Amino acid sequence: MSEEIQVLVRGEGRATIIDLIGDVTTFAEESINQAYQSASADGAVNIIFNFRENDYINSAGIAILIGVVTEARKRDQKLLMTGLSAHFQKIFRMVGLTQYADLYPSIEEALASLNGDTGA
Amino acid sequence: MSPQSNRVVELRIPSELGYEKIAREAVATVANRLNFGPDKIEDIKTAISEACTNAIRYGSGSDARMKVVVILTADEDKLDILIKDPGASGAPPENVNIPDISGMVEGKHRLGGMGLYIIRELVDEAGFVEDGDEDDGNQFRMVIYRMDDDVEIRPEESGTDNGGTT
Repeated sequence: MSEEIQVLVRGEGRATIIDLIGDVTTFAEESINQAYQSASADGAVNIIFNFRENDYINSAGIAILIGVVTEARKRDQKLLMTGLSAHFQKIFRMVGLTQYADLYPSIEEALASLNGDTGA
Repeated sequence: MSPQSNRVVELRIPSELGYEKIAREAVATVANRLNFGPDKIEDIKTAISEACTNAIRYGSGSDARMKVVVILTADEDKLDILIKDPGASGAPPENVNIPDISGMVEGKHRLGGMGLYIIRELVDEAGFVEDGDEDDGNQFRMVIYRMDDDVEIRPEESGTDNGGTT
């Protein structure tokens, strides 16, 4: 009973946005990693993972994101996350993922934070 | 379904990742009928998803011929959830550690191992039931109590609905 996820990569200002449309579980690993590698190959420095608020995320999906964090640190990339429900924001804080990726309610607010970031 | 009655819902799902979503939807329906608030229902959905995923992946080796049994007991003051698996991987873990995400990011620890920790943080009681007979597999129990802060106040409970009383 595998679940499909649609992962799209697009550029927006100073950021590369990776849209995650669907459940973020173990079945999403290949799609997310491919999207991240594609963004990195294109020189992405600021990467926004944009979630759809009502989708299902489990600990296996969080582990995939931690894997991305690991790679991003090696490449000096900045990770941001948007669109998470209040519940999953709480879960991400609970496991410590927010030490490595800032959360924003919307893409617009994430982009605004980058525009105010003179260190990138 | 009256919160005063004790009702039991039992599910048998194939031991295949993805089927935990059925338990997730079922428990959301039961919790909603018990008038748990939306935030608590989200907690319960995540907890049961993680517990069923563990039962599928570790308790029965993702062998879809096996079944994971989920028993939801709606009581007056709590929701009791029991998850049974065949115990294919032997005894369940005894300790639940706080995830060391720094260790994962630095490559010192494998990715994962967060499910039980998340469950413990989200429900009031959680743990493997020790019944002394390993042949019966594993039983993982979670309890969520109905707290006043969790309960969604509905018109018929708030005292503002006088229908039929005048």
